[in-house]
Amino acid sequence: MDIVTYEILRSSLYATAREMKLAMMRTAGSPIVHSGGDASAAVFDAEMQLVAQGNDIPTMLGSAVISTKASVEAIGRDRLRPGDVIVSNDVYLGGGNHQPDVQFTRPVFVDDDIVAFVMTRGHWTDIGGQVPGSYTTLTWDVFAEGIRIPPVLLYRDDKPVEDLMTVILQNTRDPSVRLLDIQSQYAGCVVGDRRIAAIARRHGPAALAEAMRRALDHSERLMREAIRAIPDGVYEAEDELEPVAGPPGWPTAPIPLRVKVTKSGDAIHFDYAGTGAQTRGGINCPLSVTCNSTWFTVKAITDVSIPINQGCYRPVTIAAPEGSVVNCAFPASVVAGNTETSPRIIDLLFRALAPAVPERVVGQSNCGAFSGLFGGMDPDEARVTATGRRYVGVIDPHAGGMGARATKDGVNGVRVYVGNAGSTSVEIIEQTSPLTVQEWSLVPDTGGAGEWRGGLASRRVYRVGYEEATFTACGERGIHPPLGQFGGAAGSTFRCEVRRGDDVTLVPAKGPHEIVQTGDVVLLQPAGAGGYGDPLRRDRQRLLDDLKDGYVTPEALTRDYLLSPADAANLMAAADG
Amino acid sequence: MVLKRIGIDVGGTFTDVVLIEEDGRVHTAKVPTTPANRVIGAIAGFRRILEVAGCAPDEIGFIGHGSTMATNMVVEGTGAPTALLATQGFRDLLELRRIARHDRADLYDLQFDNPKPLVPRRWRYEVPERLDWRGNVVQAPDEAALADIAARIARSGVEAVAIAFLHAQVNPAHEQRAAEILRAALPNLFITCSHEVNPQQGEYERTSTTVMNAMLGPVCARYIGAFGDGLAAEGFRGELLFMGSNGGLAEAETVAARPVLLLESGPAGGVSAAMRLAEATGRQDAILGDMGGTTFDVSLIREGRPELRTQALLHSYAVRTPSIDIDSIGAGGGSIAWVDAGGGVRIGPQSAGADPGPACYGRGGTRPTVTDCNLLLGHIDAETFLEGSFRLDRAAAEAAVGEHLARPLNLGVLDAAQAVRAVANALMAQSMRLLTVERGYDPRGFDYLCYGGAGPVHAIDLARELEMPRVVVPPAPGLFSALGMVLADRQVDRQAAVERTLDAVDAAWLEDRYAALEAEVVLGLPRDPGIPRSVRRRLDCRYAGQPDSILIDLPSHDPAAIRAAFEEAHRRLWNFTKPDQPVLLNNIRVEARAETGWRGPLRFAEPIAAPAPWRRRQVAMKGVMQDLPVWRRRDLPTGFSLSGPAVVEEASSNLVLGPGDRAEIAQGSLLVVTLAPAEAA
Repeated sequence: MDIVTYEILRSSLYATAREMKLAMMRTAGSPIVHSGGDASAAVFDAEMQLVAQGNDIPTMLGSAVISTKASVEAIGRDRLRPGDVIVSNDVYLGGGNHQPDVQFTRPVFVDDDIVAFVMTRGHWTDIGGQVPGSYTTLTWDVFAEGIRIPPVLLYRDDKPVEDLMTVILQNTRDPSVRLLDIQSQYAGCVVGDRRIAAIARRHGPAALAEAMRRALDHSERLMREAIRAIPDGVYEAEDELEPVAGPPGWPTAPIPLRVKVTKSGDAIHFDYAGTGAQTRGGINCPLSVTCNSTWFTVKAITDVSIPINQGCYRPVTIAAPEGSVVNCAFPASVVAGNTETSPRIIDLLFRALAPAVPERVVGQSNCGAFSGLFGGMDPDEARVTATGRRYVGVIDPHAGGMGARATKDGVNGVRVYVGNAGSTSVEIIEQTSPLTVQEWSLVPDTGGAGEWRGGLASRRVYRVGYEEATFTACGERGIHPPLGQFGGAAGSTFRCEVRRGDDVTLVPAKGPHEIVQTGDVVLLQPAGAGGYGDPLRRDRQRLLDDLKDGYVTPEALTRDYLLSPADAANLMAAADG
Repeated sequence: MVLKRIGIDVGGTFTDVVLIEEDGRVHTAKVPTTPANRVIGAIAGFRRILEVAGCAPDEIGFIGHGSTMATNMVVEGTGAPTALLATQGFRDLLELRRIARHDRADLYDLQFDNPKPLVPRRWRYEVPERLDWRGNVVQAPDEAALADIAARIARSGVEAVAIAFLHAQVNPAHEQRAAEILRAALPNLFITCSHEVNPQQGEYERTSTTVMNAMLGPVCARYIGAFGDGLAAEGFRGELLFMGSNGGLAEAETVAARPVLLLESGPAGGVSAAMRLAEATGRQDAILGDMGGTTFDVSLIREGRPELRTQALLHSYAVRTPSIDIDSIGAGGGSIAWVDAGGGVRIGPQSAGADPGPACYGRGGTRPTVTDCNLLLGHIDAETFLEGSFRLDRAAAEAAVGEHLARPLNLGVLDAAQAVRAVANALMAQSMRLLTVERGYDPRGFDYLCYGGAGPVHAIDLARELEMPRVVVPPAPGLFSALGMVLADRQVDRQAAVERTLDAVDAAWLEDRYAALEAEVVLGLPRDPGIPRSVRRRLDCRYAGQPDSILIDLPSHDPAAIRAAFEEAHRRLWNFTKPDQPVLLNNIRVEARAETGWRGPLRFAEPIAAPAPWRRRQVAMKGVMQDLPVWRRRDLPTGFSLSGPAVVEEASSNLVLGPGDRAEIAQGSLLVVTLAPAEAA
């Protein structure tokens, strides 16, 4: 195949993934999908290898490498027909990343042959389970986390399998919104199917297959070159994972995380031996999640411009002990493994690889991919009549800090690493749910001091208008703050409060849900992020600007940046002037 | 009555000027843009066109003006120092944006930065005040706090203030009161409110749009003033209007208050010209491709009207203002082509820009660009570029392509150039596809209207790739946007937030709301009753629970008809409807237009009666250099036709016809190419 045809085919695969994601976002029902974009799309070759993906949610895409293969094999390739869509969410039966992320997989046929697969994956804001929003970590096992959907056909001949559709919808608390989500994922698959089939018809299925193969080989070759540039060696690190806060008898010991990275030539091996056994509560990672965190790290510390596909992962090998918290076995619960433990694995890897690629790693980050969920009945009769919706669930992604870099500050208030869902508009939250948002702001001094400052956390404060609702917090770094790199200081930890009148309840990052009532106030603040380099080396002008802008307080000058009282006084005078 | 008319389009590199005489004779001029003070170049352009046309300044009745100034200010961060007043607890929403990284180039990049906040945190002030989502007052604005903020702003050196409170689109009272207090205390500052600039739900996007309006305000006002004064000093006594992002012209006063309307001012000119062409020729559906030095801009007209969008990301900043729907990709002639470590051909995002420019400009550029490749392939000619005023250095292009492309690819220079051209074509075709297929339209039913300096160079390939039947090249494609500034109509748009389910809307109420908006918009149009006017009523709808609205024309005031029209659009876009889901009416919109644009004939220099190819030269066809006849576009009279393979030469580019392609000079001096059927090509 000439290079021209190849480049045309390759770029059209990525464009297809982009079109699929847009189709989903514009039609979904859940704010987290449509505004937050917590959805992903990808294109696979006929052998279920990921060949192109959108600029979406890394955690959904990396794990799709495993789940797409599992979905197709569960149904059996030979049984698939044009117009089929396989649905699946289960981590054990379908290779998913966690139960709320539901994958739709569709074969692309040209004549009688499958030439590709396309998949869409969306975060469903409710899949049943023990607490509204399906995002509690205090669960005994995976059955408590919501409906388990093994890979099964949800569409046949482009018609929904009605009985199955009914079972799924009746197992969620907001079926009308769910139906929109389902239709949006289906629309994304149809868009992908049409585009890929048109490409295959135009250039011939054989040319498409060859272009896909070349794209994988091309990325592999680039990745091997990039890995070769990392110094050979063995790099190790350890850290601790916070257990879920539970009732008496629940495990309370921190769970060790360990990794040994062996870099040799153009390959790199990650061995997680020594990591603790899987534990009670939804903080375990299925292998797909651990693989994704590992792949993410390799991509991030090598060359981000390498076209992303499964070929990038070929030089990477991973050993994760079975039954451990990084490769859990049935029936361990998993919901926050994907969102909270997963970024912790990345921070662990940055810690290990810091000596090898000091200019590429960053200070530790907030690592809470998720933060607050409310669920209950809407007391506003006018709204219920207008929307036809009595149960209102709100799932609101939050923004913590991202770690400082070798040549610049961290990023304030942002989603980090493998997560990338956006926040919902305050005006839309207030219009559509019985909540008022009282504050959404950056919190000074939450970014770790350093030559480069860690990113700041943001804080959202809600006033509850539900008569009664559940509130689930799900965050990370409630105990272990995000540490700095190369002398940078740690950022702040996660904080969550429920205020009932004068009574303040501190809510752990992972633990039981709270019952909240009208007038209660909920404060949510993810962790900040670690600094990079010695705080004493912080440029004075930058410190002055931070002071003027209120990113750091006057107290931080002597406490965190270790200025003498006289220097601090001078700087404060300059800031006032 | 209107005398002669002038259009002035200030681009990044050149300022293009077009003059139309009373009988339709068209004159053109190009002068360098003066980036430090763009007024200088624009005035120079005015002088130059008067010389070219042999006219006196007082013969000019009208100037339509467009400029990339506003966009450049956003990109370069050179807007006025601006303060923001936000609801207490929300001053950081401008910096937090939507917290995700969608506009980031790469999700795996740990070195990314969010765009610098448009207002530094020290100038973001919080006002104790609060409305609920229905617009009811929860807490009245704290006037003492406002007075204190005004005093702090007065000491800060800020030149503009944006006021953006939560739910102000439902009830503007708090913003109005705050503005009143600030205007009294700070009479010299540019003060702008979110309920005026963008009365629409979504606090981040509304705030960002308002802040952008504020930061552009003082600088645009100075520019508008200086340009008006400069023209007056030259002896110009006519009417000066500005090209808005919506494709219509507006008065200086209007754009001075809403400079955010100028953000797509430049590209909008081309789209206006295309609309007028559609009117005159009946070619109602076209994909528009504008290829310049650094970008390729694609837009669409359907049934003779441009597609509008109401929201966009500009340089990663959210901005919501009615604007021509333009997709811009970094694949202009100056985009640099390179080979990655795995042997793949890539284009951009780096661009050689105007300086040093492509290697063939001979100004020190050594990296190969798309233009260099086109030169080697014969799609651009070294001798006749810009009518010979700018000789291109073929050897430099060859060296750059050889060193950076051919060698690493292990190909010949021509094959390497061909590969780059193909990749550029693929990128551009994708962008065209996104704008049609993704919106539910089939590109095969559209003409491809190409313009911009480099527009024709890729046109035939792109049309073929999308299986479009025809390519249309307007007269003077390199000055098409400036031409549009003479052809465009006056237009005013307004919107109002509704946020009700269709069940809760009745026809009489809706009529009242539209009538109120229309009463506002007509104030912005010329009073002359002899000028035909039209008003288009539109609205945004979505299923309850969805985030994104669909913009549709109001079919009638009957809610059932509105629902049907919404669902038809939804099905076209997304292939499904949800009949039992409530539909929300989010916003109503009116677009009011007065037909002030030039609608007479356009007459260009008299062509030769019996033209012939003026020479032959080598051009790559399907990878092989062939000797082709070269026709000069300006020699071809109306009704003349010719068949490929052949080259038709423009001032800054060439159109290469393949075997079986047929070009004809149609009414209005259009060059219309009917492509050979796919099998024959």
